[in-house]
Amino acid sequence: MLSPLRRDALAGGVAGLIGGAVAGAATLVQGLAATVGGFLGLTPSVTGLLVHGGVSALVGAGFGSLFRYQPGGYAPTVTGGVLYGLLWWIAGPLTLVPVLLGREPAWSIQAASRALPGLIGHLVYGAVTGLCFHLIVTFYLRIRPEPHPRIPLDRPPSHHVIILGGGFGGVSAAQRLSQLFTRNRSTAITLISQSNYLLFTPMLAEVASSGLQAQHISAPVRAALPRVRFLRADVESIDVGARRVLIRAQGARVESLPYDHLLLALGSVPNFFGLPGLETHAFTLKTLQDATRLRNHVIALLEQADVEPDAGRRRHLLTFVVAGGGFAGTEMVAEIFDLVRSVLRYYPHVRRDEARFVLVHSGDRILPELSPELAEYALRRLQVRGIEFLLSSRVAGATADAVLLVDGTRIPTRTAVWTAGNQPHSLLKTLACERNRAGAVIADDTLRVPGLSGVWAVGDCAQVPDVLRDGRPHPPTAQHAIRQGRHAAENVAAAIGGRPARPFRYRALGTLVALGHRTAVAEIRGFKFSGFLAWFIWRTVYLSRLPGLEKKVRVALDWALDLFFPRDIVLTGAPAPTLAEMVGKTAAESQQ
Amino acid sequence: MTAPDTLRRGMPAGAVAGLVGGLISGAALSRVGALPPTASLVRAETAAAGLILHVVIGIVLGGGFGMLVWRQRGGAGETLFWGLTYGGIWWFLGPLTLMPLLLLGFIAWDVHSTQEAFPSLVAYLLYGALTGLTLSILRARRGDLAVHVGAWLRGGFAGGIAAWLVSVDRIPLWLGAAAGVGFAVLYPRALQGAGPGLVRGMVYGFVWWVAGPLTLVPMSQHTPLAWSVAEARAQVVLLPAYLLMGSVLAVAYQWFDGLVTFLFSDTVRGEDEEGVGTEGLRAAVRGAIAGSVGGLLFTAAMARTGFIPVAAGLMGSRSALTGLLVQLVIAVAIGISYALLFRRQSFDVASALGWGVSYGFFWWILGPLTLMPILQGTAPTWKAEEVARAFASLIGLLAYGGGLGVVFHLLEARHNPWWIPQTAAEAARVARHKEQLLSSAPALWALVITIALTLPIVLGV
Repeated sequence: MLSPLRRDALAGGVAGLIGGAVAGAATLVQGLAATVGGFLGLTPSVTGLLVHGGVSALVGAGFGSLFRYQPGGYAPTVTGGVLYGLLWWIAGPLTLVPVLLGREPAWSIQAASRALPGLIGHLVYGAVTGLCFHLIVTFYLRIRPEPHPRIPLDRPPSHHVIILGGGFGGVSAAQRLSQLFTRNRSTAITLISQSNYLLFTPMLAEVASSGLQAQHISAPVRAALPRVRFLRADVESIDVGARRVLIRAQGARVESLPYDHLLLALGSVPNFFGLPGLETHAFTLKTLQDATRLRNHVIALLEQADVEPDAGRRRHLLTFVVAGGGFAGTEMVAEIFDLVRSVLRYYPHVRRDEARFVLVHSGDRILPELSPELAEYALRRLQVRGIEFLLSSRVAGATADAVLLVDGTRIPTRTAVWTAGNQPHSLLKTLACERNRAGAVIADDTLRVPGLSGVWAVGDCAQVPDVLRDGRPHPPTAQHAIRQGRHAAENVAAAIGGRPARPFRYRALGTLVALGHRTAVAEIRGFKFSGFLAWFIWRTVYLSRLPGLEKKVRVALDWALDLFFPRDIVLTGAPAPTLAEMVGKTAAESQQ
Repeated sequence: MTAPDTLRRGMPAGAVAGLVGGLISGAALSRVGALPPTASLVRAETAAAGLILHVVIGIVLGGGFGMLVWRQRGGAGETLFWGLTYGGIWWFLGPLTLMPLLLLGFIAWDVHSTQEAFPSLVAYLLYGALTGLTLSILRARRGDLAVHVGAWLRGGFAGGIAAWLVSVDRIPLWLGAAAGVGFAVLYPRALQGAGPGLVRGMVYGFVWWVAGPLTLVPMSQHTPLAWSVAEARAQVVLLPAYLLMGSVLAVAYQWFDGLVTFLFSDTVRGEDEEGVGTEGLRAAVRGAIAGSVGGLLFTAAMARTGFIPVAAGLMGSRSALTGLLVQLVIAVAIGISYALLFRRQSFDVASALGWGVSYGFFWWILGPLTLMPILQGTAPTWKAEEVARAFASLIGLLAYGGGLGVVFHLLEARHNPWWIPQTAAEAARVARHKEQLLSSAPALWALVITIALTLPIVLGV
C-alpha cells in the first residue's frame, strides 16, 4: 500500500508522461520546437525524446504531490492542471531554458509570441495530465481501496507528550511540537503550568518600576498554543517508573496522567540559602505578583515618606537595597531609581537626597556575565546617578526594617530585593537522577535525562553541557531556554518517529542589560555597545521577542506614551481596610 | 453522489445546456461569418450544415461539461465560471488543435492561426458561459431562482460606484449598474472572502468586456460583431477598465452584503476567529514577509524588465538603489494587501498558487497599466501596443504573485492551520468551509492565467 503522497506523486508522474506524449507528439510531427528538447535546441532525436519524457514525468510528479488527489471531481483537477502547466510555461521556456543556455529570460512580448506553441502545448499538457492523474488515482483506489479512508478524529492518540512548566522552555517546546504534529493526530501534547500565561521576564523590572502594564508582558498560553491541551494545575509528583504525572488542578482532585515523553521545564525559584529573615522580608522578582507587589510597595513608601515629619525616618523609608549584581539585580536597582526619581515631584515633602539606592554584590564587579569594560561602564553610569555599590560583600540576613551584611553592617531599610540566588523547582528533588549543586537536573547534550527513560529537561531547571564549549553548562537565560525547548521538541518527535536524537548546539547571541535612563550595555557576538544605541537595541530585541503580536503593540504603545506622560503612581494593590477595621478605628478615635 | 449519477443526470442536463449554448454561439458565429471552417470538417460548405455541426459539437461538449461539473456546487455564478473555463480550454483543443489536425493534418499553434481563430475564441467563451448558465438553471432547486430585490439593489449600487470609480468615459454608469445587478443575480448571497471576490469580479469584468464592446454594443448599433482580431484589438483600451470595474464591483458588493448582515442580522459571524486586530495584524506581518520574499526573489528578474529605473523615477531619482527600495516597498505593500484580502483562503500549495497568480495579474492591470502612467503624470491609455509592451512585467508579477501566495500559505500553515481539523465536529465544519472556498476557484485560476498569457500575445503582436 502506497502512502497517499507517494501514490499521488507516482500517479502524477505517469500522468505527466501521458500529457507530455500527447502534447509532444503533435508538435514533434509538425517540427514545432515546443518540446523540452526543442527548447534546449536538441533535434528530435532519441536523446531529445528521453529528455522530454523525463521532464514531463518529473513535472507531472510535482503536479501530483502539490495538487494532490481531491475526491471532489475531475473539474478542479483538470483546471488545476491547466494552471500548473501554464506556470511551467513561464518557468520553463520563458525563464529556465534561456537562463540555462546563458541567455536573457524570454519575457518580452516578441519572445513570448515566438514561444506561443509552447504555451498551447503546456496548456494541453496540463489539462491532459490533470485528467489522467485523476483517472489513474480513481482507478487505483477502486482496485486498492484505502483501508482507513480517513483517520477517525475521535481515535485516542497513541503517544502522549507532557510538558511541565509554562515558561520560555515549556512554551517553545509545546509550540514546536504542535508544529511538528499538526498533521499527525496520533500524538497528544499537554502543557501543565501553574499560571495560564507566558511571562516575559526580561520586562518584569519595568513592570515593577511602573513603566509597563503587568498584563502587557504576559501572553495567554491558550492563545499561543491553540493545538495543545493546556491544564492549569500544580504537579504533585512524578512516577517515572509507571510514567505518570500526578497533578492537582486548582481546588480539584488529584489526577494521574500517563506520558510517553515528559519534558521538564519547571524553571527556577528564588534561593535564599537559608539566610535568616530573607524569605519573610525580602522582595523577589520572579512573577507578575512579585513585580506589582514591589511597585505598590515603593509607591506606598513614597506616600508614607511624604507625611513623615522626621527626616531620619524618611531616609529609612526611602532606602532601597538590592542584593545581587547580575542582570536582574542591576536592572532592578536602575529601574527603582528611575521610578522614585521620576515621581518624586509629586511628593513635595521628600527631598531628592533622602532617597538612597544600594546594590550589594558578592563579586568584585557587577554583571559578571559581561566583559569587564562594559561592566565598568555600567557601574560608572549608575554610580554617577547616585546609586551606591557595595562590592565584595554579602547579605547575611534581613529584618523588617534593615538588611544585615556579613561584615556586620546594618543598612536600615524597608525594601530588600533579593536577586542573588535561584534554585530549580523542588519537585526535581524527588527524581532518581543526577543533579548539580543547585539542584538542577543534569541532562545530556540531547537534553535527555540519563537514567530516566522518556524524560527530557530544558531551561533553568536543567544543566545542559555546551558541546561548543567543552561541555561547560549553558547559562540559565531565556534565549537558551527557548532554543532548548525547541530542540527538545524536535528530539522528542525524533524519538517518537524512531530517529536518533541530535545534540543541542547553540551559541548565545549576546547579552543585553538595561540601565534605565535610556542607557544600556550590550554585547552581541563579541561586539560591544553602550549608551543610547545599546538601549535602543535592548528595546528592539526584547520587543521582537515578546510573545504575541497584540502584546508587542501594547508594549510599543506603552513605551511611546511613556515619552510624553509621567509614570503612573496609582496605588492598586494596597489592601483596603475592612469595614470592621474602619468602624473600630473611628470608635477608638472617638474614645480618645 | 456516485459516478453513475454524473452519467445518468449530469450528462443529459449538460447536453441540453450545450444545445442552448451551441445554438446561440453558432448563430452569432454565422453572423460573423466564421462558421465555414467548422463545416468543412464534414466537407459540407453550406452555412446550415455548419451551424448544425456546431450545435452537435456543442451538445457533445455540453454532455462532457455536465459530467465534469455535476459534483461541483451548483450556484449560477460558480457554474458560469466553470463554463467559461471549459469553453476557453476547448478553444485550444478544438479550433487550434483537433480541427486543423483532422482537416489539414497539422496543428495551428502559432500566433497567426490563433489570431485567425480569435472569433471562435469569443464564440467558445460565449458557448461556455451560456452552457454554464443554462446548466445552473436546469439544476436549480426551488427557491434558487427567487427574486432578491435587496441584493439586486446592492449589486446595482456597487456596479454604479465601480464604473464611476474606474472610468466613466469608458464605462457608462448604467452599464456598471447593469453589471452589478447581473452579479447579484449570479450571487444572491455574497461568498466569503474579499480576495476571492476580487478575482471573481475580475473575471466577471472580462465577461462583460466580451459581452459588451465586442458583442452587445455592435449589435445595438446594427453593425457586425467585433469578434475579429483587428476589432478586438481596438477594444483592448476598454479591457483593463472592465477588469477593474468587475473587481471593484465584486468587492463593494461583498462589503455591502457584509454591512447588511452586520446591521440587520443576528448571526454571529467569525466567532471562531481571534478578532480582526489580532488576525489582521498577524496576516499583515506575514504578508509583509511573504511580499518581501517574493519581491527579493524576483528583483533580479524585474531588473531585467527595466522596472528599476522606472521605479526610481517615481521618486524623482535615478539611482538604482532608490529603484530597488521603491520596488521592495511596493512588493511589501502588495504582500500586505494580499494577506488582508486572502487570509484564511488557501489550504494547500495549489490554492495558494492560484490566488497568488490571480492577484499578480490584478496588480499588473492596476500597477503597470494604470497607476504607473497616473504617477508619471499621464492618463492611462491602455492601448494594445502598450499592453503588449508591458508583457515582461506581467510575467514578473505573475511569478511574484505565485511566490507571494505560496510563502504566505507556508507562514499561515505554521500557526494553527484551520484546514487541519482536530475533532470530528471541527472536521465537518472544515470540510464545509473548504468546499465553500474552493467552489469555482480552480476554474477562475485557470481562466485568469490563460487570459493573462494569451490575450497580450494574440491581440498585441
